[in-house]
Amino acid sequence: MLNAKIPAGPLNNKWEDYKGHCKLVNPANKRSLEVIVIGTGLAGASAAASLGELGYKVKAFCFQDSPRRAHSIAAQGGINAAKNYQNDGDSVFRLFYDTVKGGDYRAREANVHRLAEVSGNIIDQCVAQGVPFAREYGGLLSNRSFGGTQVQRTFYAAGQTGQQLLLGAYSALERQVALGNVKMYSRHEMLDIVKIDGKARGIIARDLVTGELERHFGHAVLICSGGYGNVFYLSTNAMGSNVTAAWKATQNGAYFANPCFTQIHPTCIPVSGDHQSKLTLMSESLRNDGRIWVPKKQNDTRKASDIPEDERDYYLERRYPAFGNLVPRDVASRAAKERCDAGYGVGTSKQAVYLDFAAAIERYGNIEAGKRQLSNLSKAEIIKLGKEVVAEKYGNLFDMYAKITGENPYEQPMRIYPAVHYTMGGLWVDYELKTTVDGLYSLGEANFSDHGANRLGASALMQGLADGYFVIPYTLGNYLADEIRTKPIPTDHPAFVEAENKVKSTLSKLMSIKGTKSVDHFHKKLGKIMWDKCGMARNEQGLKEAIEEIKALRAEFWKDVRIPGSENEFNPELEKAGRVADFLELGELMCIDALHRRESCGGHFREESQTPDGEAQRDDANFSYVAAWEYKGDGQYELHKEPLEFVECKPTQRSYK
Amino acid sequence: MEHYNMNLTLKVWKQKNTNAQGGFETYSVKNISSEMSFLEMFDVLNEQLINEGKEPVAFDHDCREGICGMCSMHINGRAHGPWAGTTTCQLHMRAFKDGDTITVEPWRSGAFPVLKDLTVDRTAFDRIIEAGGYISVNTGNAQDANCLPVDKHSADLAFAAAACIGCGACVAACKNSSAMLFVSAKVSQLALLPQGDPERKTRALNMVAQMDKEGFGSCTNTGACEAECPKEISLTNIARLNREFIGAGFTSEK
Amino acid sequence: MKWSQFFNTSIGKKLLVGATGLFLCSFVIVHLAGNFQLLYNDEGKAFNAYAQFMGHNSLIQFIAWGLKVVILIHAIIALKLTFSNRAARPVKYAVNPGNQTSSWFSRQMAIMGSILFIFIVIHLANFWGKFHYAEMPTHTYAGMEEPLKDLYALSYETFQNLWLVILYVIGMIGLSFHLIHGFKSAFQTFGLNHKKYNGLINFVGVWIFGILIPIGFALIPIVIYLKK
Repeated sequence: MLNAKIPAGPLNNKWEDYKGHCKLVNPANKRSLEVIVIGTGLAGASAAASLGELGYKVKAFCFQDSPRRAHSIAAQGGINAAKNYQNDGDSVFRLFYDTVKGGDYRAREANVHRLAEVSGNIIDQCVAQGVPFAREYGGLLSNRSFGGTQVQRTFYAAGQTGQQLLLGAYSALERQVALGNVKMYSRHEMLDIVKIDGKARGIIARDLVTGELERHFGHAVLICSGGYGNVFYLSTNAMGSNVTAAWKATQNGAYFANPCFTQIHPTCIPVSGDHQSKLTLMSESLRNDGRIWVPKKQNDTRKASDIPEDERDYYLERRYPAFGNLVPRDVASRAAKERCDAGYGVGTSKQAVYLDFAAAIERYGNIEAGKRQLSNLSKAEIIKLGKEVVAEKYGNLFDMYAKITGENPYEQPMRIYPAVHYTMGGLWVDYELKTTVDGLYSLGEANFSDHGANRLGASALMQGLADGYFVIPYTLGNYLADEIRTKPIPTDHPAFVEAENKVKSTLSKLMSIKGTKSVDHFHKKLGKIMWDKCGMARNEQGLKEAIEEIKALRAEFWKDVRIPGSENEFNPELEKAGRVADFLELGELMCIDALHRRESCGGHFREESQTPDGEAQRDDANFSYVAAWEYKGDGQYELHKEPLEFVECKPTQRSYK
Repeated sequence: MEHYNMNLTLKVWKQKNTNAQGGFETYSVKNISSEMSFLEMFDVLNEQLINEGKEPVAFDHDCREGICGMCSMHINGRAHGPWAGTTTCQLHMRAFKDGDTITVEPWRSGAFPVLKDLTVDRTAFDRIIEAGGYISVNTGNAQDANCLPVDKHSADLAFAAAACIGCGACVAACKNSSAMLFVSAKVSQLALLPQGDPERKTRALNMVAQMDKEGFGSCTNTGACEAECPKEISLTNIARLNREFIGAGFTSEK
Repeated sequence: MKWSQFFNTSIGKKLLVGATGLFLCSFVIVHLAGNFQLLYNDEGKAFNAYAQFMGHNSLIQFIAWGLKVVILIHAIIALKLTFSNRAARPVKYAVNPGNQTSSWFSRQMAIMGSILFIFIVIHLANFWGKFHYAEMPTHTYAGMEEPLKDLYALSYETFQNLWLVILYVIGMIGLSFHLIHGFKSAFQTFGLNHKKYNGLINFVGVWIFGILIPIGFALIPIVIYLKK
């Protein structure tokens, strides 16, 4: 049984107690302790900067050309914090409670409570760094509401909150680089972990420009490499987002927890053809004003504007009268899929539903006319006023939609469809964010810890920064305090040599296949298997088929992939090949995990486990645990369970009707 | 919008590495859908090249939603192509028609050496940020976020400047390869906020000094950077940088 | 930052170019106002008296020499910047955007400035050099005791040469195109970019300095040529 090392005592004292009793490292010793950070998104950049400030010698790695490009930058909506600036009844407890409930009772209470406790400090820190959050006319910070909550606790910077937070963390990181506390390795990819006497002691990285392999020693290694949504090929993740760092950790003994918990975001721009390389999110905030519908008639080919009101099915409003269009992400996504599968989809692909702003435009037009005390306006004039209001609220999103689709969303409804967006699963970590390997930590989306089976909007940014700014500086010290006598291990140690040889032989093997199909060919095929059989709805038969299909695909990949160029040069195809090779293993594990979890919870919907009216049905008696998988060599995994205890939040069936 | 397919001729810069001699290669691609993004068209080209046993074209890209700043193509003489306020990844093939010849070059600047084909090294931007593009506040030092009110207008201006994605289109578009728009965006963001005030003088002086050291050209106020900036960062930021720098230069005691 | 360092930065150099440029703008107003006296039908009395004053008042002589130094500073720093700006892009683009992203005038500052510089050298040789260092005809006007150097006559004689008239018109086209961008650009370099004033600065730069003043200058040789 896994021990999460949760401190004893009442929930709201655990973190204070921990901080009061964890071991410390004195400043002189910090200077001789080296830490490796993989990834420079919110978690990695904030961790590297904070550890550098403390005086540790930090090496940070990212595969992009600059740490500022990590995919945290693409987060749109905002960041939650229990500041209660709006005086609307928010508190640490409520943020904690909403997050556990939103996660469908599959998260660890102690971690989530700590997250809620430090959430306020994150906002303070970011403002002090110069993050330009939205403000009211009085000069104070503005908040908005997000799905799954009844208070306004989301801080935001237009639709670019992730960008602004990341640039804040990036600037803190660059400051430490300038001060010499952090050494930055951009265009470097971690390809293996070096373990000595059971502890993580370094990494093998590939310089992506020259192709050279490098050995780096560290007293500890932090994996902050983000999520693995790209296993589906099509997702809202960046093209380079990958599981490789986390997967190498898994292969080195770190357990991988809840891999099947993936979040499908309901409002994305649909696939337009086989050429599609990625999907683009349309912010959740659009569901505040847009109404979602499909035609009542199957295979209706009429234009949206030609379908009269009484022939439209506003299915979310019909099925969930209490929450309507604002049901949580998992519910909205499944409902869209249900309609499209039943033949009511719209657009050429029939894999889309309408998100319609016509009613909102008219409503805002009338309100605006009232505000300006205009009477006797024609309908066209009212609609013109309404469009202006909508443009002010959502202009940048509407523009983005128009650029991608070539359609004008002010005139015709948007076509949207769910897409893979976030992965709640990840490396299993204990309360200290340590994996099952000593000295190996995981932060941010790369770990599994805080979101259970479904993440609430605006909580990913919060978790990444909480881990990096406010958790790891304490918990890592607790480990490194015992390492002050460990001298830096020279990188000609046999363990480094062995790890490098292993990486080298994998790369040579990939290059030597010289098959007939491109890496993307395999990635697309894997994505299709995952999406069809381990996507929004899963069942036993499909998952079993998927496992076999992935095995076969993996075998074919290792026989028939074609990678041009050589391994000793800048070779993007080789980079992709390594990542897809890891996805081909992870995909199988996701299916194994989904198959074993015979319940529906959050983003994981097992068709066998649903209520009579088609809602997700949890099985707390049998599945109230974290499933942590131990890698046992090619395609073999052993399940370890961490039971979840709910002291403060008693699990209930979620209902949005 | 009516979709259509097109056949195109591509003239693409190929260069093995920084020290190698580069040159244009001509490729043709067929049946490109008007619904594709420009980079998806390049995916098609690369897939075709791989199938033919040729070297694909190396180009930088990541988020493909216009925010990471990684994509960087100079398309028919335009940084990020013909659409205003758009990154290469958000440019769609609707912008072209059947039979077009498209010339694609990397960002050209001595400060951005070509790594391979269309990929350039933009770490000069990171070094400029290192020189002062931050507020010196250690984690845990911060006071309550609402302690310092910031008037909304300044906050909005700071945000508009902070929207810079660091793609380098300003440098690519400028006839002088000047990085002034990039530097000014960061200096402006922090100068407009009270939190940035304590370091405003050293920040302006050090960032400009680093910018010069990297070998970027100087600004002659042509406005090409603003015209090509995918985030439409305003030239008023450059004026603000000039004010900050001149003010700091005239009053600094060092 | 020391002054030596400050004026060696890209912005410091531009500040010098902008400041010297605006100073030269103020000069062209005075110069044009004085030169219009060439068109009076008074046989050059007013103009020559003005020339006598300008050529012998020591304060003005000081400023006049300063002006030449300023022109040199302006030209030398601007050329240095131009060369370093060119060097900042060692490999050029095969396809350039032309006027799609910037105005033609803004890209021709060095060319126009160089035309202007050549013009100024010729112009100085034609008039200033002869006035100060060559034998000049004189003219004694009624009511004056001393004869005045007849710069007026020299002007009328000089502009009988059609080629010189054309050269002067080209010089003024150079001035025009240089100032259409240069005037407002200097304000931007000083950091003076403000919604409320940009319209005015732009108007003055384009219409007064870029069009009216160069036309005014160009009219003088043309009118004189046509008067013969």
